[in-house]
Amino acid sequence: MSEDFEPRIIGFLCNWCSYAGADAAGTSRMAYPSNLRVVRVMCSGRVSPELVLRTFREGADGVLVLGCHIGDCHYTDGNHRTAKRIPVLRKLLSYVGIDPARLRLAWVSSSEAQRFTQVVSEFTETVRQLGPLELKGKA
Amino acid sequence: MHRLDSLRQAVRELLDAGEVDGVLALRADHGGTVPHLFQSGDDLSDLALWPKFPMPSTVDLLLSMEPEAKLGVVIRGCDERGLVEMAKRNQVDLARLTLLGVACLPDEVAYCPCSKPYPSEITVGEPLEGVVDPRVSEHAQLGRAERLAFWTHQFAKCFKCYACRDVCPQCFCEDCVLENDLWVERGVLAPPFPSFHLIRALHTVGKCIGCHECELSCPADIPLTILYALLRQDAETMFGYVPGASIEDEPPLVIAGVT
Repeated sequence: MSEDFEPRIIGFLCNWCSYAGADAAGTSRMAYPSNLRVVRVMCSGRVSPELVLRTFREGADGVLVLGCHIGDCHYTDGNHRTAKRIPVLRKLLSYVGIDPARLRLAWVSSSEAQRFTQVVSEFTETVRQLGPLELKGKA
Repeated sequence: MHRLDSLRQAVRELLDAGEVDGVLALRADHGGTVPHLFQSGDDLSDLALWPKFPMPSTVDLLLSMEPEAKLGVVIRGCDERGLVEMAKRNQVDLARLTLLGVACLPDEVAYCPCSKPYPSEITVGEPLEGVVDPRVSEHAQLGRAERLAFWTHQFAKCFKCYACRDVCPQCFCEDCVLENDLWVERGVLAPPFPSFHLIRALHTVGKCIGCHECELSCPADIPLTILYALLRQDAETMFGYVPGASIEDEPPLVIAGVT
């Protein structure tokens, strides 16, 4: 794999926990890879499978979905859907030949700035190792 | 007695009992079959069973057109499972239906590999063991690059006739995401990868009862049911959910609660 490959990673961060956690990381001046482009969503349960698939189709090498811990959802049980939906989507990706490690779901609370930077760094390294996802022109 | 003769007798008895307004079954037509509402006094000689046809969608149509009607329906195992999943989503009212169950014959089970080729109550026929589509385990032998090559080739054949969706007893949304420009652009053939078929596959998790109608109706011969069978196995492993098995079980992806 080329040494200078910089993965493009799209992160869907829930407004109430994970986006605030990312914000906390920023205000605490913690460093994390600049490969992550953040999209703020109101709930991780809003991240539909079609949204993730389109993100891959548009050239993302990895998709990160971050939400509130189970039990902490601002909408009580929005993340329950995410918790079940994303693993199924990972299975489907694997069946059609896309490495499921390119899609990661993690829970990050608003006070977990450290955890946020850790998750983003780990995921960026994982995707860097996997190399670019070249889907354009496949169909 | 021949299976079809036994069925004719059962339909006749149900009609004569007068508790239903008609019996929905298949009728032989131009070498194929069409769904037909047999009513009291009708000639039952052209009642047919094969080729099979998805009954649940026709039941839904009839029940909504005739809000008071009570129907008898000739169903196979797959039809019953389809009706159960539709009932969970308020698409049919099972209380208005009297089911006449047909167990599938060996060649029928081979034609559309089915995990349970008989309904819970059998009116005609003998229950056979379910079978697993051999293509599912063959698919598991493929490496990642082979799987990507296989499916991109298969999906490239799609010319978006939407037959898979239209025939599916579990596809009843008023607004279908597959017609939304944001996810599946209009006027683009074949649909870009990954979009159309993977979106549909995800939307059938916890609903797809394995009737194989989508694949049987696909003019491009895309082996869709391999993906659906794999996802059905996953739903069972992850959530212990078998679509159509019981009216009591709640569909995992639409309810709160984490397993």
